[in-house]
Amino acid sequence: MTQLPCGVLLALLCVPVRAWAQATGVVYGSVSDSAGVPISDVRITSGRAAATSDVVGRYRLAGVPPSHAVLRFARLGFRVTLDTVAVPAGDSVRVDVTLRPGRFALEPVIVTAAKRSQLLDQSATSVALVSDSDLARRAVSTVDEAVDKAAGVLFLNGQVNIRGSSGFVEGLGSRVLLLVDGVPANEADRGGVDWDMVPLDEVQRVEVVKGAGSSLYGSAALGGVVNLLTRDVPVGFHGRVRTTAGAYADPPDAAWRFRDYVGGLGGLDATGSYGTEAIRGSLTLGGRHSDGYREQDRSDQWEGAGKLEWHPAPGTRVTASGSWTSHQYQVSPPWCEPGQCDDRGLAFQPFRIGISDTGAYTRSDKGYAATTLERTASAEFAWQARASWVRTHFTDFQPYNWGVANRYGTELRGTLRPGGDSDRVLTVGLEAARADVTSDIFGRHAENELSAYGEGERRVGSVRLSAGARVDEIGLVGGGLAGQLSPRVGVVWPTRFGTWRGSIGHGFRTPSLAERFSSLVAFGIRLVPDSTLAAETAWAFELGDAVSLGSTRLDAAAFWTEARQLIEPTFFDSGGVPYIQFRNVLRARLRGFDLSLVGRPFTPSLETSVAYTFLDARDLGIDSVLAFRPKHLLTLAADYAFRPFSVGGDFRYVSRIERIELGLSWADDPRVPAAVLDLRAGWSRDACSARLLVTNALNYIYSLTPGTLEPVRTVSVVLTWTY
Amino acid sequence: MPRRISRAALVTLGALACNNGLQPVPVCPPGFVGICGTVAFRGAVPDSTQAVFIVAFDSFPQTLSDLFKFKPASPVQLPLDRPTFAYAVPLPNGRYDWVLAVWQKVGTLTPQTAGTLLQETGFYRDASDTTKPGVVLVDGTRAGVDFVIDFDNRHPVCSYFPPCP
Repeated sequence: MTQLPCGVLLALLCVPVRAWAQATGVVYGSVSDSAGVPISDVRITSGRAAATSDVVGRYRLAGVPPSHAVLRFARLGFRVTLDTVAVPAGDSVRVDVTLRPGRFALEPVIVTAAKRSQLLDQSATSVALVSDSDLARRAVSTVDEAVDKAAGVLFLNGQVNIRGSSGFVEGLGSRVLLLVDGVPANEADRGGVDWDMVPLDEVQRVEVVKGAGSSLYGSAALGGVVNLLTRDVPVGFHGRVRTTAGAYADPPDAAWRFRDYVGGLGGLDATGSYGTEAIRGSLTLGGRHSDGYREQDRSDQWEGAGKLEWHPAPGTRVTASGSWTSHQYQVSPPWCEPGQCDDRGLAFQPFRIGISDTGAYTRSDKGYAATTLERTASAEFAWQARASWVRTHFTDFQPYNWGVANRYGTELRGTLRPGGDSDRVLTVGLEAARADVTSDIFGRHAENELSAYGEGERRVGSVRLSAGARVDEIGLVGGGLAGQLSPRVGVVWPTRFGTWRGSIGHGFRTPSLAERFSSLVAFGIRLVPDSTLAAETAWAFELGDAVSLGSTRLDAAAFWTEARQLIEPTFFDSGGVPYIQFRNVLRARLRGFDLSLVGRPFTPSLETSVAYTFLDARDLGIDSVLAFRPKHLLTLAADYAFRPFSVGGDFRYVSRIERIELGLSWADDPRVPAAVLDLRAGWSRDACSARLLVTNALNYIYSLTPGTLEPVRTVSVVLTWTY
Repeated sequence: MPRRISRAALVTLGALACNNGLQPVPVCPPGFVGICGTVAFRGAVPDSTQAVFIVAFDSFPQTLSDLFKFKPASPVQLPLDRPTFAYAVPLPNGRYDWVLAVWQKVGTLTPQTAGTLLQETGFYRDASDTTKPGVVLVDGTRAGVDFVIDFDNRHPVCSYFPPCP
């Protein structure tokens, strides 16, 4: 008896629910862009029903009237998409949608060029962007592969060049500053860049600032800045698993074959995150293996990265982040000279190494930890403070060398916007850093840096004027401090012929501890230290224009850099014995122009881009071409999307490098232009995506640095699952 | 117009991409008739060195005068400023019993002075008995004739035709 009233009650309760459920249906699915990247914050409506997609692009639209419902998907920066779907009453139906960029795309927001948020068109210097869509569709495995395709950027055996800035010096003394979320991350000993310091899975986008950036960033930013911006941690539980498997092609000629099995590569990365409105955290763990594409080229890498965010109050955020990578790799030295390997009767064997180099191996551990406190006190004032620690540790086996280096940094920065808008902005900051190294080849040294900077921007009519400067005091511990003043002025002028920009800036780079104190023998050549090396300096001029015509954007810039005391490796012979020493080149000039065109000229489904850089780099001291600076750099890209499928490709042309350094023995090596075609295809649906990549599809064999073969054709499959 | 542009782009791409990059460069070029290989140098080059050549004999010399029946008639001089050298010596097709490197001392070379000015300083060896010279059959290009030139282990001509003075 007691069950009867409950049953009646349940029946009474269920009747209207069932009746309501029968009257409406549910539409669910995901929203992504043409590269398969999920889009959040998409507004989905159908009649009075409405929903918003979450951070992984998923949505659930309840209360949709049955029969044929019209769904409307809208988000700023994308075309409004309508879809008609038959919704059964009381049932659900899945609808996955791909949004195409709007005719008037949103102007990207950048954070690196002025050390604060600004629109891309408000930057007085050229900035190249690698978006999350670019990263997803190229499905690259490493950070340097992601940066390599940016307009005007060229990697020479791992050394990044922006408009020919660095040349090639075996990774020493980069003239490009690497930032991870704004934290300087160049090595403290060699001054180079460890591109494997941060797992690619952590990177959401990349900003490449071209030209001298010392007025805000100090030493190392002589040729530009690359800022890796990591993913924000979303609210709720989220996960991401990415796995890669692939194989290297055999050399195109049987005489070059160096193994009797197929060289493979593979990797696995997993990210998990959980966040509330106040506290969020993420952890990424991963590893990868490669057999390499040439003799003695195996590598294994383990990596981890984490991020914690605390939002104690609106406008306040505390972030603690870090990463650690352990990379063990065989050292594949320059290819063997005739007679030093089984050359099989060939003048050179690009896939083989000399017998004396067999067994060379390196373990390289590196990582960083950073804490940042950001506070937006009001619409007019925001400040942030950070502390960071970058550590690198290497051990070479055969020959045995080792080194440990640390860089501790701290920065306090404030941004003032009187009136709360962007018409007047003042950015000021103080920075301090200490770098130390202990090594059997670099010795034991430490260096201190103290800096202060400020840059103001003001809108006068439609023109934006900016001016700023930075003072750096840098010196070895126990020695005196040397000062550097780096001013910069800029102008941005929107006209009906596009947005014009111009800037004049000073840049400098203090020689790295390794450049001053290295004493070692590499590949038979002794490197001679020179503790008297002076800082290299440069004045960089730039004039550019960005024009948007519908969905097509053209950006062109002419640049001119006058460098003094440029530090370049110099080969010399003394008593018949070859030596290398880093020396100051009296004067060098790097000038040229770059063009970038991105658009959808034929159909909205086809995105194409062209990037071209012309470079005229000369050593004015000896009236010769500067070594390792190719004159032409061309990148073409096209991607076509059709529903969940996409196909695309990149073509990269690098003209023949006219002059090389680092030894006479390679001077006669054959050199050809690089002409490399990469192809890709993808499928993406809901939380899963699969991508097929064929890099260097034509198996074009070439080298950019002496005796060092660039990657051969590599076929890989990348599977990603996102929760 | 877009079609023209895309066609032009495709043609440009094709032209650029169809270049095959670095190609194998044989020490012996195609069609070469003779021997090729790599010589590795050991020991210090004597100050009294005039030149070092690679020559071949159809049959092992039996007399002092046979020493002048080497081929090619104008032997290739080897560079001595590197640890190894990939060489190519043109030879007529045929059988060669002795392929060797000849060290020439500074002086005026005549049949009378040959005994003192010329010394064997390395030769291609028989793989099964490395104390003996290896036979080389030339039929077009014969690659892989590799051997060591040891300046610390030179042998005067008289050691083959004793007694030595």
